[in-house]
Amino acid sequence: MKEVINIKNISKYFGKFKALDSVNLNVLKGQKVVICGPSGSGKSTLVRCINRLESHDEGEINVLGHSLTDNRACLESIKSKVSMVFQQFNLFPHLTVIENLTLGPIKALGVSKKEANERALYFLDRVKIPEQAYKKPNLLSGGQQQRVAIARALCLEPKIMLFDEPTSALDPEMIAEVLEVILDLANDGMTMVVVTHEMGFAKKAADKIIFMDDGKILEENIPSIFFKNPKTNRLKKFLDQVLNY
Amino acid sequence: MKSFKYIFVLFFLASLASCSSGSGNWGWYVIDPTTKSGLANIKFLIGGFGATILLSIIAAFISIILGLVVALPGFSNNFFLRSFNRIYVEFIRAIPLLPMLFWVFYGLPVIFQSLGLKIEIDAFWGAVITLAISDSAFTAEIYRAGIQSISRGQREAAQTIGLSQFQAMRYIIFPQALRRILPPLANQFIYIVKMSAFASVIGMQELTRRANEIVVTEYRPLEIYTLLILEYLVLVLLISFAVRWLEKKLGSNESNSN
Repeated sequence: MKEVINIKNISKYFGKFKALDSVNLNVLKGQKVVICGPSGSGKSTLVRCINRLESHDEGEINVLGHSLTDNRACLESIKSKVSMVFQQFNLFPHLTVIENLTLGPIKALGVSKKEANERALYFLDRVKIPEQAYKKPNLLSGGQQQRVAIARALCLEPKIMLFDEPTSALDPEMIAEVLEVILDLANDGMTMVVVTHEMGFAKKAADKIIFMDDGKILEENIPSIFFKNPKTNRLKKFLDQVLNY
Repeated sequence: MKSFKYIFVLFFLASLASCSSGSGNWGWYVIDPTTKSGLANIKFLIGGFGATILLSIIAAFISIILGLVVALPGFSNNFFLRSFNRIYVEFIRAIPLLPMLFWVFYGLPVIFQSLGLKIEIDAFWGAVITLAISDSAFTAEIYRAGIQSISRGQREAAQTIGLSQFQAMRYIIFPQALRRILPPLANQFIYIVKMSAFASVIGMQELTRRANEIVVTEYRPLEIYTLLILEYLVLVLLISFAVRWLEKKLGSNESNSN
């Protein structure tokens, strides 16, 4: 299988704080990778480095055959091929749902307005909220907003989807509807990297689970082994805490 | 609170009027519309409204555009563009209006002359240029504050859907910032209206200049300057009402979920 993300030995500093410490990671086409770990462990930073929301200080990141640098041509070539869903949804509050969805395709990809609209309605249907198309985002529930955000990302027809704690800002009863949509995408063969604390989701969807602490990847395994036979004490302790409560 | 303002104004007017009938300190006859000379004086004084309003509107218009042109480079990744923004704002903001007016009106033509340019600056345009430039440093800061108040997440979301920096500003950041920018911009307009009084110093026939001229011929400063203040009060209150109305209109559409 083709390698779509290849991260070699990257480190990232925020001032003197080392947010990422020699991280290595490979993601194959169609693979679902779940990243978990305590807060401040560098999970979000790692994901944000993959679409260049953060720049890495050392090492190399290769995404879809392009080495990530500040070079404009490079950013141009990965833009919209790597899409992202945020913890805080980050919908555009001054635009309607459908305008949120069509803006990227029309302005960044040069898709016609008609086609962008059709695409938007298709993906709204896919995340099961076609009836909300002409409302402003603030009239929607948190779960609905996050599903709009997922549809917005999908409208760009990305090759890779990144999720940065997509359910952490949601009320408990809304988590399921969002995870369901993400699972549906996973079953469809989308390559995805998901930062989450939802261990049930990880067990169901992940091909590979990564545990991070202090900016390092401590463990990397398939779900069955990851949960049953954690190698490090740190992961044992972490799993004890998240699974028991 | 609202009605309090008007009661106060009425009270103020009533107390002034009562003075006129009593002691001999007041001489409202200079602007008594029932006499021929009083009416002429009033017409002359009120005739300054046009110039004050025109001057303020043109200066504000230029300042709003110039402010944006100055503010946007402040968000650039380029060090020199950012420096241009900071230097402009800090430098222009530091110059008092009156010296700047003198510099533009009396100084600038000297530069033009030495460059062999035949550009004349009359009082009106001298005042417009000065007010616009002086104010633009403040409008630039208003733009900056408004744009910065939009959360980083909006910028990041714009980036992840593939928008360029300019597109993100054009379609995402600026439309949201505009709602927050408008009220302080309107406030700044009131400031311009008041500062336009300085144009009287270089001979522009606006409200204050006309008042000064009548004072010189009639020797009735109290009455005429009182009327002058009321003239500005009317102008500023009108703008205030317009701003309230605008804020209400924008407020009803406000829909920030983030």
